[in-house]
Amino acid sequence: MRATQPAIPFTVARLFQKFVVLVLAVVPFLLVFAISFGEKIEGAAWVWSFELSNYKRFFVGADYPNSVSFLYLKYLWYSIYYALIASILAVATAFPFVYLMTRLSRRVQTIWLVFFLCSLTFSEVFIVMGWDILMSNRSGLPMLFKESGLTDWLKQTGGLDIMRDWGLATPRNVRFKPSEFATILTMTYLVWPYAVILLYPPVSKINNEIIEAARTMGARPATVVRTVVLPMVRTPIVGTILLLFVFLLGAYVTVAVFAEPAKHTLSISVYEAVRGATLNAPFGSAQAVILLLTAAAILFFGRRFVSHPEGR
Amino acid sequence: MSDLELSGIRKNFGDFVAMHKADLFFEAGKLTALLGPSGCGKTTLLRMIAGLEAPSEGQILLGGKDIASLSAEQRKFGMVFQSFALFPHLNVARNVSYSLRIAGVDALTRRARARELLELVQLADKGNNRIGELSGGQQQRVAIARALAQEPVIFLLDEPMSALDAQLRNDMQMELRLLQQRLGITTIVVTHDQREAMTIADKIVVMSQGRIEQVGTPQEIYHKPANGFVASFIGNANLLDGRATNSGVTLGDTHFAVAERGGFASGDRVTLFCRPEAVRLTEVAPSGNALKGMVTFVRDEGIAREIHLDTGAGHIIAEIPGSFNETIRIGDRLHAEFPVETLHLLPARPAAGAA
Repeated sequence: MRATQPAIPFTVARLFQKFVVLVLAVVPFLLVFAISFGEKIEGAAWVWSFELSNYKRFFVGADYPNSVSFLYLKYLWYSIYYALIASILAVATAFPFVYLMTRLSRRVQTIWLVFFLCSLTFSEVFIVMGWDILMSNRSGLPMLFKESGLTDWLKQTGGLDIMRDWGLATPRNVRFKPSEFATILTMTYLVWPYAVILLYPPVSKINNEIIEAARTMGARPATVVRTVVLPMVRTPIVGTILLLFVFLLGAYVTVAVFAEPAKHTLSISVYEAVRGATLNAPFGSAQAVILLLTAAAILFFGRRFVSHPEGR
Repeated sequence: MSDLELSGIRKNFGDFVAMHKADLFFEAGKLTALLGPSGCGKTTLLRMIAGLEAPSEGQILLGGKDIASLSAEQRKFGMVFQSFALFPHLNVARNVSYSLRIAGVDALTRRARARELLELVQLADKGNNRIGELSGGQQQRVAIARALAQEPVIFLLDEPMSALDAQLRNDMQMELRLLQQRLGITTIVVTHDQREAMTIADKIVVMSQGRIEQVGTPQEIYHKPANGFVASFIGNANLLDGRATNSGVTLGDTHFAVAERGGFASGDRVTLFCRPEAVRLTEVAPSGNALKGMVTFVRDEGIAREIHLDTGAGHIIAEIPGSFNETIRIGDRLHAEFPVETLHLLPARPAAGAA
């Protein structure tokens, strides 16, 4: 077949691809970017403009230079903090599971994978609701703690005081929400199946002979994992953490339900600005742009872990 | 240095018997080849020796001590895998010194030992290369150097040449043999290539369907095969069915004299064995053991020619030197002479279709 023949469909496919990217990604982003420079009219809607006041408000507060406020930087910090810890926790706990899973028979592996694929159909709202009930003070785990006498035992041993220091208890009983613990736990749970599904292909591709070779050279199972398996899948591991991190940056329901208002994230703040009481789309857009740029920056620096030359 | 002995070793995978009960002795410092077709249990046997597979029954004795309960990481027998199984995340030198690193040997000693081993396998300048930058032959040398780094008591190789092309395989066989002799390390090589086994081994263990068919030196295996399977697996063989008599063997209406009748009684069903290169072709009927036949195929291999003949007693192959001037064509009628000293009687083969 001559090389020129498939050129036309190929060009069409390329154009279509560009069109899709343009319509679905570039145009909406440019729109948000343009709105972020708009101006909010008090008591009314907003108008197109070119003001940097929204960005100024984000970094130092609206009242600058009379007073300084880092409220939105704090929201950004919590966005990064929750997402990073949860994505690392998810990968750290999913990896041993995936590794052990790949040691099982093909049939059992398939059953597990189908199970995890099914669990992806649960929406964030559904999962948050479940955890909300589980951790609620009146009917969830705290009640179980109290009824089973665990609370009394914790009181006697001083465990409750330690948990109070961590913000996980009141003087009377344990209390899991609102807390950073509940927020991060639920986020971890939310992305755990993704971690398994993303880690499975690279881990299952590791040739069993490589593991056996390490064993014949005196490596015990833990040493094999540390010196062979983990280094071999370092790139997919970092990649999975980054992907889950970016995904969790936008988590909304989890934070709204489990985090204290003072420790809310930028995604909540964006929603409140755009749809909430203030109806300030330009400021919401500015926050969204900053969140996006943060994600881009972290992906960029994360790549440096991945593109580190191997085998040198 | 210690001998390795397998005593009453057996391996089942569920209902499937991978290895029937067997005893084997591996002499210290010698190279033994486990030879057989795929699925004959040779790799299972090697893996049991390495500790990667637990025998269902039996003992593995190293210098008289049973090591069957030790794990692969405790035995630390160096092993070269079919896929080489090199670590893609480590460079060549680090692959070689891996066993030393996990044993806690200091970096200086590790580097020195890696250099020494890479010199041994003629890759002294490749220490900093990535595994992906090496050719198949180089990767194999790295795998050998890596397995030797821990100075193993037993050195195991699983089909080490199967990933290499023909020319390289020949070279590596010689190199491996010379290296093994230089180091004097007890070595066990799994192979399905009889030429390879003949080239490198002091002793060959021929296996088939989980059973050991014969153990012997390459010469013994080639010239005195224990049965029809060994005879036909190692090189070409003429195998003719007949019955033993007091002075030899009858093949249909022909009688052949043999030098040794073995343990067969007169009237026993036997298989007559003769290597193709021992068969002589003549136009006039010779006085000794001979069969008349018609040429059905001629394979000219340059150095030698294989002449296939159909005779009254069955299909036979004669191998004659390639320099033979006479032209032999399909349809020619010739006499095939079987010198008496080249004939051996083997137990009768199972009837066709029964195998």
